[in-house]
Parts: sequence; C-alpha cells; structure tokens
Amino acid sequence: MEIYLPIAQMSVHWLIILSMGFVVGFLSGVFGVGGGFLLTPVLIFYGIPPGVAVATTASQIAGVTFSGVLTHWKRDSVDFKMGAVMIASGLVGSAIGVWLFAVLRRMGQAEFAISASYVILLGAVGAIMLNESVRSFAARREGRSGYGKKPGQHHWLHGLPFKIRFRQSRLYISAIPPLVLGLFVGILSAVLGVGGAFVMVPAMIYLLRMPTNVVVGTSMLQVLFVSASSTILHAVDNFTVDVVLALVLTIGGVFGVQYGVRAGAKLRGEELRFLMALLVLAVAAGLFYQLVVRPEDVYSLTAGAP
Amino acid sequence: MKTMLLAAVLLAAPAGAEENLTSMLSQDYLQISSNFNGSEITVFGAVENPPERSAGDIVVVVRGPDTLMTVRRKDHIAGMWINSARAKLWLPSYYFIASSEPLGAIASTDTLGRYELGLANLRADMVASDGDGAPYQAALVRAEQRAGLYRENPAGVEMQNTAFRVHVPIPAAVPRGSYNVEVYIFRDGNVVAAQSTPFYVDQAGFERRLYEFAHNKPLYYGVTTVLMGILLGWGSTFFFRRK
Repeated sequence: MEIYLPIAQMSVHWLIILSMGFVVGFLSGVFGVGGGFLLTPVLIFYGIPPGVAVATTASQIAGVTFSGVLTHWKRDSVDFKMGAVMIASGLVGSAIGVWLFAVLRRMGQAEFAISASYVILLGAVGAIMLNESVRSFAARREGRSGYGKKPGQHHWLHGLPFKIRFRQSRLYISAIPPLVLGLFVGILSAVLGVGGAFVMVPAMIYLLRMPTNVVVGTSMLQVLFVSASSTILHAVDNFTVDVVLALVLTIGGVFGVQYGVRAGAKLRGEELRFLMALLVLAVAAGLFYQLVVRPEDVYSLTAGAP
Repeated sequence: MKTMLLAAVLLAAPAGAEENLTSMLSQDYLQISSNFNGSEITVFGAVENPPERSAGDIVVVVRGPDTLMTVRRKDHIAGMWINSARAKLWLPSYYFIASSEPLGAIASTDTLGRYELGLANLRADMVASDGDGAPYQAALVRAEQRAGLYRENPAGVEMQNTAFRVHVPIPAAVPRGSYNVEVYIFRDGNVVAAQSTPFYVDQAGFERRLYEFAHNKPLYYGVTTVLMGILLGWGSTFFFRRK
C-alpha cells in the first residue's frame, strides 16, 4: 500500500520505507552506531528530496537512540558531565549546520555538499577502521594483545587550558577538545542527517582517551540531544521534517536495533569492525561513483524558488 | 494575454455561429488522502448544432497551478559533476493535453503557440544564469514527462458523433492547487469555440492538517516529531522486555 508523505509531497510504498528503517536499525544495532550515515543516502537514492531525507533522518536517530541512552544510564556507563559539555557545543553546531544547509540549498549545492562530505568522511573513517581491524586480526594471530599507545601517555591535547575533571571517565583534561568535537558533530548532524557516532566514538577513544565502557553511552547521550535539536531547527527553518516518513522509519528502526543488538553479540569485535569498515567504504564508493560518472541528464529540476 | 484571448473567443464564438460547446468534469474537487496512488478525472462534452454534422477537431488542455521551478545544469568540474548554471522558470506544475488529431494536423504552429497548446509551445517567464533559457525549459519538460506531470496524448479525445470524452490521468505526485480545464474546438485551423472549467486538488483531512501544522506551528511540529520518535524508541524496549 502506498502512503502519502505530506511534507515530501509524494507517495511511497510503506513496506519499502519500513524495511529501510529496519535494515538500517539492524545494522546500527550490530555495529553500535546510529546508522544515519546509511539512512540518508538510501532515502535520497529512493527519491526522497535530500532536504527531507536529512531532516527526517535526524528525527529517526533521536527515536532510535533514546532507548540506548536509557540502557546505558541503568548500567551507569554514561559520563553526564562530558555529555553536557559536548551537548552544549553540539547544539551550537547543529544551529550552524541548519543555517549552512539553508545557504547551500539556496546555492543549489546542497546535494553536492552532502555527497562530497559523505565520500570524504566515510572514506576516511572506513579506511581507519579497516586498517585498525586488520592490524588487530594480525596482532591476535601473533599472540599479542592489541596495539597502540599505552593509556596515560601524554599528548599535545593535554597541554590545553580550561581543565575539567570528568570523574566518570577518570580524566582530567581541557574542555576544549570535547567542545570542538561536539561542535563538529553538531554541524555534521544538521548538514548530513547523521548522529555522528561514527566520528565521535573513535575520537573519544583515540583523542580524548575516554575509557571504552563510557564511550558509547556518552556519545549516544550527545547524539540524542543534538539530533533532536537538528530536527526541530530543520522543521522551523526549512520545513523539511516529514512526520509520516519519520514514523514509519522509526518503527522499522527501533525493531531493527533490537534484533541487531542480538545478532551483534554473536560476532567478535574485530570481525564487527572489519564488516563495518567494508560497509562504510561501500557507501563512500557508491556516492563517489555518482559524483564522477556522467549523470543521465545533466539538467535537474527542483520545484520552488531555492 | 492568453486569458484575454480565451475570453475573446468565449465572447465571440457563440455570437459568430449557432455552434455551441458544453463540457463538464466527472469531479471538480480531488482529494489526496494517505493512500492516494494517482487517479483520473474525465472531461465530457458535446458540440451542439455543429455545421456540416461534424464536431471539428477537439483539444482538451488541463493546466495545474503555475509554480516557480529551478533547473540546474551540472558541468564536469575537476572530475566531478557539479551544479554550475541554473534557470528559474514559471511554468504550470501539471500539464496534460489531449486532441482528436495530432496537434500539427489541427492548426498552424502560430495558432498553437498563441494558445500554448502542446509541450513545445509552453511559454515561460524565465531567467537563465547563462542567457539561453531554451535548453533549461526543454530539460524541465523532459523531467516533468518522466514524473508523469506533463503529458501529450494526440489520440486522447474519444469521439462519438458530436459528443466527446477525455480521461485525464492524475499521477500520485500531483501538486495541490487550482487547476483549469480548457476545451477548444478547431475548424479549418481556427478556434471556433472554447470553454474553461476549474477544479481543485487538495490534501484530504489528516494529511492537510499535518501539512498545515508543519507550516503554521513549525516549532511544535518539530518537538512533536522528536517526542513521537522518543516514545516509539522507549515503547519498543517494553515490547522486547516482555518477550
């Protein structure tokens, strides 16, 4: 049965949208990331206008993330102080991002900016993850346990001022790196319709050196607030949030996550990261291909003034 | 200009001949509801007191509301295809034309152009960033044809003696607004009678309320969407705990 999306002003098949939500939710349950970076390109590919895809995905992420935050809160694996710092700058970032998105849309470059940013970000993150998972495969085969710098080692980031004690993370570091990270992820959330966990989680582990057990919960807390704010700002500034699309995607998503978490528990860490890296690189390659191959029609039509 | 022409024909035609045109629509209000998957309206009509017992050539045009559309052209820049030039055009958001004969056999290009009959004869107010708007308009027509919003059917008028009938396909992506159905009778390449009837396309109850909510109270709408998502996420945890 077709359903009519009142904001996108088009009819879609509800089962296709529900499956997209489910599959992306499943993958995000398996890999422990939001999945926005998959959902937005898939929706655009299906024919949803990019603006609606970005804004609506942000609302889906907020819904899917909420139950994750609750679970981590119960397990006491959320650093609320770190979360608050990153939410503060994340909200500013999401406002900047929504404004930036409106400017890009008026220039007719929103689509290109979205695709190009995805290619760069996903390409970089995918390559890093692939490299890391392959090295830990190798390390395990040689009987070593992991690799990398030892915790407690000094880093230039530790020389920055405005130090704050984050008790939950057992860190005493400057507030600047988390603030910058939160801001960056906030901009990403608004422009690309992603939660940003795929950038934030590695940054928290490798740059901020947060203990792994609080990383996922804390990043989810930040993602929850920032994607909620992106959704609301997109609704107010760009009128691009489609509540019907959001409803179907979220229903698919929340169920997908639950099954994904179960499936993910059966896989080993390096295997997970290896598969995840392949997935991320595949999406990046697909988007890059669309940028470089001659389009079927070099002219494209957008209704309305922008 | 075109409206004036149409008015002139409407006033002049009955006076000039006994010939009279009547037409009506199967419905004058089309509602888009949540399971809207495209529809069809029918234009019926008859030519009264035709000379020579033949109804002449009939052309039926359905135009949707004019909207401002932007067409962008991608160019090959640094190995990538990037939007570089654009044109803004005012054109109908929906255009369907059916005729009893191919348009070229009915009237001269001049006459067709004067009444904007046929996809090749649409006149747009436009601004193109690189001067020549014609390729942009052609691209727009192509895109709208692919979307099913522009259509020409040169055999779309079913005739029976002096009565005629036209099925107007309304695709799922049809824009909301005020539409106009124009019926023309041509004889020897000239318009001898014309009639214009409006109809409306609107979102039905629930969809309409959502659309208005999103545009009139965007802040509440955004907050509601987020809360809905959060409730669903929260609700699903209870669902899974019970299992």
